[in-house]
Amino acid sequence: MAEVILEQLSKSFGKKHAVIDMSMTIDDGSFVVLLGPTGAGKTTTLRLISGLEKNDKGTISIDGRVVNNETPAQRDVAMVFQQYSLYPHLSVRENLSFPLRSPILKTSKADIVAKVAEVADILQISHKLDNRATELSGGEMQRVSIGRALVRDPAIYLMDEPLSSLDARLRADLRIELKRIHSELGATLLYVTHDQTEAMTMATHVGVLQEGRLVQFGTPREIYEAPASEYVASRLGSPRINLLPAELFNLSDGLTQTIGLRPEHVKFGEGQAASVKRIEHLGDHTRLHLDLNGHAITVLSPSGNPFSAGTSVNIQPLNPLCFDKDGQRIIRDSA
Amino acid sequence: MSETTVDRVARKTPARVARKVKGLSDRAIAWLFVGPTIFLLLTINIFPLIWTINLSFTNFKANRPNRAVEYIGLRNYERILGDSDIWLSMQATAHFLFWTLFFQVLIGFTLAWLINKKFKGNDLWTTIIVLPMMLSPAVVGNFWTFLYQPQIGLFNYVITFFTGADPSSFQMLGSVDLAPWSIVIVDTWMWTPFVMLICLAGLRSIPDYIYEAAEIDRASKLRQFFTITIPMVLPFLMLAVLFRGIENFKMFDLVVQLTGGGPGSTTEMASINLKREAFEKWRTGYSSAFAIILFVTVFGLASIYVKALNKVKER
Ligand SMILES: Nc1ncnc2c1ncn2[C@@H]1O[C@H](COP(=O)(O)OP(=O)(O)O)[C@@H](O)[C@H]1O
Ligand SMILES: [Mg+2]
Repeated sequence: MAEVILEQLSKSFGKKHAVIDMSMTIDDGSFVVLLGPTGAGKTTTLRLISGLEKNDKGTISIDGRVVNNETPAQRDVAMVFQQYSLYPHLSVRENLSFPLRSPILKTSKADIVAKVAEVADILQISHKLDNRATELSGGEMQRVSIGRALVRDPAIYLMDEPLSSLDARLRADLRIELKRIHSELGATLLYVTHDQTEAMTMATHVGVLQEGRLVQFGTPREIYEAPASEYVASRLGSPRINLLPAELFNLSDGLTQTIGLRPEHVKFGEGQAASVKRIEHLGDHTRLHLDLNGHAITVLSPSGNPFSAGTSVNIQPLNPLCFDKDGQRIIRDSA
Repeated sequence: MSETTVDRVARKTPARVARKVKGLSDRAIAWLFVGPTIFLLLTINIFPLIWTINLSFTNFKANRPNRAVEYIGLRNYERILGDSDIWLSMQATAHFLFWTLFFQVLIGFTLAWLINKKFKGNDLWTTIIVLPMMLSPAVVGNFWTFLYQPQIGLFNYVITFFTGADPSSFQMLGSVDLAPWSIVIVDTWMWTPFVMLICLAGLRSIPDYIYEAAEIDRASKLRQFFTITIPMVLPFLMLAVLFRGIENFKMFDLVVQLTGGGPGSTTEMASINLKREAFEKWRTGYSSAFAIILFVTVFGLASIYVKALNKVKER
């Protein structure tokens, strides 16, 4: 396991700038999640670190060693590809043992068998070991491709949306499993997703990408509580943050254009009157969908839920986030 | 609703015909379509086969159709299996088959592998390499006899250029030792492109991401070649071998053009021998039996081979 440092990394494909000036330190033993929509440059970042793609500018160092000119094999990274890239002519067992059979490793036969069995057990694919890779469902293929990374003990695990094609239960299981592998092995992980639950639950650090740029890097708490911009704010949190014009609550101070209101950041019983459109009961909590002068707002209902659809309720922002006309957050000294 | 093609056709059908067709069931119409094909197959494939089997048990001679035909049981087959000429011709076929397949697979795969590397103008190279395959065997046979001509031929000249041997000191087509090889060379020249094309299709079917995964899994280029490239191209390669094998088992045209089976009978392959027995010596019954033996051999070998091919594809 090792520390990975990116310094001013850039990569273009023709005129398209896929990654721009990216600097990031992935500490030894950290679990970094890269968050961003499709096309933000997440996959390209992973491919640059793995060495499948060569960076135009900047440096990549792994474990204190600049690896810009090293092959993927020399860099010693494990990668889970976004599309399941299994060896179609091999069985699941052969797919899983493929990385271990590398002559560099000199792993003994017994060790390979044991390791494959262990990983297959974690990923719940032991019963499919003798299937051909092409005889699996999408979810099973994805698990095998995760497994092919997990059998190794690389400098860093790179995972490109590994859970995106799995069903909800398995995804929850594997989130916990990955987190366990991370803390037990002290593994370093760089994990790409556009699913914010995965980011919040697993990450020690989150990096938010916007059109090839790393716009914020910090702990999930920091990103959630102190987003640098509207863009970052709307990447984390479910339901999404409410972005509203500042005048709506008469909060304009000349600088603030938009306020960001997390669903839990409202005080009931004072402020503006909004009508209740819809109520969502989600078991442990209840969501209210409100309408305030034509603006839809989603909030968390106070416990007990004294409201019903069609009635009116007064709400007041509680510590809202303020953004200027460029969508950047205005940071005030006094909270 | 707008009128479909079917509606239009139905309307244009003359009333008399329409009335007739209306009475037919789907099954009957299906037979109507398949019938002509089945009829053709029966008359030009199945019937001759059965007739040949029948003739193979007789002493019939096609140049004496009025002579009484005697059924002589398995005598023809016994004589063929004891005929040293036949065995020599089978050996010539086996030699030709083995070496053409060997060289065509080796060179064809190598060329495909090189062409598959992304370089500028590889499409042009593919077109150039494929040219020989597009020529008629008669033409190829003809101009190679010129190329092989000891005094003025290009082939001997090239060999001389590289080895320094006297160009008129050897005759590719005239020498007992060299003649079998001269045919192997021409067939390889002509048909390697075919094997190359099929291998190329195989190589192109391997997605890049598999090599990327292998790269990440720290497999060396050599290991990638043997654990990914070869196994994934193998079904294609085997298909090419099947096509070429069946074609070359019945090789006729090139040999007739180049050596006519000579010198002596060194290049007299089974098919040439068969033609001689049937249409020069007019031993119709005897050659029918030989044809049946060849048929069973090809059919048997091909079936075994196709089984193996399916097994490889299943993997
Ligand atoms: N090989 C490539 N050739 C051309 N453009 C590419 C290539 N790979 C990625 N891109 C472009 O770079 C941008 C970032 O892509 P990618 O890293 O795959 O995004 P993400 O994984 O976040 O969805 C996209 O606009 C994509 O079209
Ligand atoms: Mg991607």
